[in-house]
Formats: sequence, structure tokens, C-alpha cells
Amino acid sequence: MCHNIYEMGNGNMQTIMIVEDDHKITEHLHSYIEKYGYHVYKVTDFDHVIEAFHIHKPDLVLLDVNLPSYDGYYWCRQIRKESICPVIFISARVGEMDQVMALENGGDDFITKPFHIEVVMAKIRSQLRRAYGEYAKQAEERVIEKEGLKLYPERLELTFGSRTISLSKKEGDLIETLMERYPRVAGREDLLEKLWDEQTYIDENTLNVNITRVRKKFQELDIKNAVETVRSVGYRLHVSWKKVGEE
Amino acid sequence: MKLFLKEHALLIGVQTVQWVTMLLILWLDGYPNMKITLYTAFLGFFFLSCYLFYHYYRHRKFYQRLSTRLASLDDSFQQTDQAPVSEALDQLLKEQYKFYQTQLKNLEHQQGEHLKFMDQWVHQMKTPLSVIELTAQTLDEPDSSNIREETERMKTGLNTILYMARLRSIEKDFQFKPVELLNIIHEVNKENKRFYIRNQVYPKLEIDREDITVETDEKWLFFMLSQLIYNGVKYSAGKSRQIYIAIYEKAGEAVLEVTDFGVGIPASDQKRVFDAFFTGENGRAFRESTGMGLYLTKEVGDRLGHRIELESKVGKGSVFRIIFSEAQNLTTV
Repeated sequence: MCHNIYEMGNGNMQTIMIVEDDHKITEHLHSYIEKYGYHVYKVTDFDHVIEAFHIHKPDLVLLDVNLPSYDGYYWCRQIRKESICPVIFISARVGEMDQVMALENGGDDFITKPFHIEVVMAKIRSQLRRAYGEYAKQAEERVIEKEGLKLYPERLELTFGSRTISLSKKEGDLIETLMERYPRVAGREDLLEKLWDEQTYIDENTLNVNITRVRKKFQELDIKNAVETVRSVGYRLHVSWKKVGEE
Repeated sequence: MKLFLKEHALLIGVQTVQWVTMLLILWLDGYPNMKITLYTAFLGFFFLSCYLFYHYYRHRKFYQRLSTRLASLDDSFQQTDQAPVSEALDQLLKEQYKFYQTQLKNLEHQQGEHLKFMDQWVHQMKTPLSVIELTAQTLDEPDSSNIREETERMKTGLNTILYMARLRSIEKDFQFKPVELLNIIHEVNKENKRFYIRNQVYPKLEIDREDITVETDEKWLFFMLSQLIYNGVKYSAGKSRQIYIAIYEKAGEAVLEVTDFGVGIPASDQKRVFDAFFTGENGRAFRESTGMGLYLTKEVGDRLGHRIELESKVGKGSVFRIIFSEAQNLTTV
């Protein structure tokens, strides 16, 4: 029994239920998913998954295949008896047969361990969009804020004070990573990985070029020295600005 | 027949010597009627021949069986004939067969258990690996990247074990279908993004036709290409910043080519790089060569029916090609 679409519209946070018996993985998923504005419910009693499902009425379920008593396939079939809510399987197995099993038992998607947290987020969002439509998400647009500097990753806009500038996809990705990593260094490898495009491949220069562009964008907002170079490691955001209005 | 004669050569010889000696003694003694003696000798030979003939006739299957080689283990399990020796032989072979079978069954069972254990263990390791990787992402640089470099290495190692284990039952595992080469290249590159970045070697595509499609097993081709790229990048690091990945058609065949400008393979090693556990000069100079990558690639290539070619010059680099035969090339003209 998923939330019906009318309940969704009133701006309630969407709930994601995590069924995974390794609690460290659960914790990581929890903290990450919550950052994206979803409510997370973690299942701890693996004998009563379906009861938890009834009580918390999640909008999406992340389901590990290997669970203590019954396996994930079993629980997915139980969920499917009463709901069409999206289910994403998490499994260590990479074989085609395992994926087929997951889909045949009613799963909507499949993630293999070890996974990239961004892949998980992308899959969650795409499943939610498919199940509940685009508008459900718009209730909560993601904003990353630091000292009055606001980044809207979905709109690709950067706002500071009263000024707003638009960004390219690559610039947006870089600024997002820099802000999320703050105050830590955003590693070269992570940044390059973010810039890597399916079709056109990158090289070392791509990063240098785009960092230069990002610096220019910051300058357009009258922010200077916002991006520090950490030699051979990466770049760090340097908060050289102050919230407008507090000056 | 040959075996039978060989076996009875001595008997025939002794008999001959015996008759000759007897005749000689009689003759030296001055016995007058030599005709009769010769006739007795002839009779003696006649009975011997009868005996031999009968013996051969009765045991011919036995001798046939003794002189034909076994083609398989199951061949030892067949009826010879009714003669006592033959029955004893059958009995012996049967018993031996039974012992071997039980031992084989035991070993097969053990090996199955072992494989199952490995499979389970490898998959279990993936959960802690995920935890380490997720934790590392929240650390500061350069620790974060360093730890993830190691976890990635472990991940590659674990996957090689899985592929290795699967190689045993590989034919059962194959699923042939049309595969677009360009897609596979994109997928492999996506999977190895970080590996490229870390080694500061980047792929460059040279695509003759975008729609080159071949009949193959997608998963195993993915594995083969990953291995070639993995090697190309590893042996280019620090020497060259690019590897080329090309697809083209040549005389009806489709070719997938990975070119690097790295250290190259010495001519003396080129023939053996596809052997299991062979690491060669480069393997010893570079870290963590298992000698398994190219062996597995070749092995899979053979079973899929794809040819693998290698050209290499020390100091200049190497070219590896996977060649799909005309029949496997499904690209429409």
C-alpha cells in the first residue's frame, strides 16, 4: 500500500525504507538519502518486514537479497501482493541470473555491491519519478547553501545576494562537489569522475579548464579566491565571502 | 591375432625344438623307417595347431580387447566373453572402475564444495568492501582516494576469482546475442573511469562505423575488453597519456582493437603472454601481475570463437585485437 498520489502532493517528504542487515551500510545509505530530502525508515526486525511496510507505508524500498531469515526475493513477493511501490534490490551478486531473479520476483531495479552512492541516488530518483510523476519531486527542490551562496543543482543556477547566474552542467557538478565536500578537499579523481561523460571522454585538461570557468563564475558574483588548489590532491572551497546583510 | 601369436611364440618354439631333437636322435640311431617318424612329427604339429586354433577361437575377443586401447573410462565396463580368463579380466576392470568412480565422485564433490565456498566467500567480502568504500568517501583527501584505490583493487581481484571459477562451466554460461561494440566500449570505460583517471591515461575512440554489431556473449566480451584495457592502461602509466580503442571492419570481419603506447612486450615473451601464470619481464617489473588476465582473455576468446591478435614492440607499445569472424559479424552492409 503505497502513498496514493493525492497524499503525495501536499509536500510531505517521501519515505524510503531500507532493508539491509549490515547496519553500517544502512547508516551510510540513511545519512546520504536523508541529505537529498527523503525520510528514511530502517528495518531492524528482519522477520517482520511486511509489518514495517504496513506501518510506515514507504514510497520506495531498498531491499538486500541476503537477509537473515527470509531472503529479499521473498519479501519482494510479499510486498508485491499488495502494492506496486518501487523496489530496488541491493545484492553482491552480479550474474545475469540473479538480476533476472530480482526482476521476476517483482523488483524494479538492481544495484550491485560495492556500489557508488550516487548511482543509488540516481536510481532512487528515477524510480520515484517513474512511479509518482515529476511533480512529486518538485515539492522539495534540492538547494545546497553555504554562507548565503546557494546552488540549485537541478536548475543549474548559483545565487549569491540578489544575483543569480546560470551554470553549465560541468560547472554545476564541480561546484556541487566542492560545496558538499567542504571543508574537506574535493579530490582530483572525484572531480574528474564527476566530469566524465558517457560519450565524450575527458582528460586532465578538462578539469583545469572547468576549474578556471568555475573561478570566473565566482568572480561574476564578486567572490574571489573561492577555489583553492591543493597540489596534486585536488581543490578546496574557501569561504571568502560573507552572507549579505550581515556586513 | 598379433598378440596371440606373440603370447604363444615360445610354446611353438619349444615344440619345434622338441620334435626336431627327437627326429634327430632317431635318425642318428639309424632308425630305418624315417617316413613313419616324420608322420608322427606331423601329427604332433597337427594337434598343436588344433589346440592353438581352438584356443584362439575361444579367446579371440579377449585378445582383441587386450590389444585395443580404451577410449573412455566407460569402455572398461563391457563384456568380453565366457572364457575364465576373460571373466576374470572383466571382473578386475569392473572393480577398478568402481574404485575410480567413487574416488572421482568424492573429488568432484569436494571441488564442488570448494567452488561453492569460494563463491560465497567472495560475495560476502563485497559487503565489508562497500562499507570501507562508503566510509572512505567521507574522509578528507588524499586518504579518501588512497583507500578507494585499494578497495577498487580488491574489487578487481574478487571479480577475477569469480570469472575464473565460472570459466569451468563457461559453455553453460554463454548467452549469445547481437552486441553493439560501441555500447560495450562505453560500458567498460564507464566502469573503469577511476582506473583511467588514477593512472592519468585516457581512452580515445576511433570509430569507423558506429553500428558494428557482433554475435557474442556480452558479459564475457565485457570481461575480455576490460582485461585488455586494464593491461593497456597499466603498462602506459607514466609513459603515455592515451590509449586508443578502435572498431572497424576488415575483409568482412569485425575488429575491436586496443592500442597502447606503453612499455611493449619483448618478442621472447609474446608467445607466452597468454599462458596461465606467465608474468614475463613486464610482469616482474610492474606490481601485481597475476599472469591470469591475458590467459583468461584468450581462453574465453577461444571458446567464444573470437581470434586474439597481438603486435608489440618494446618501448613503442602494444596492439591487441579481438577479431570476430565473418559469420559473427552481424553488421549490415
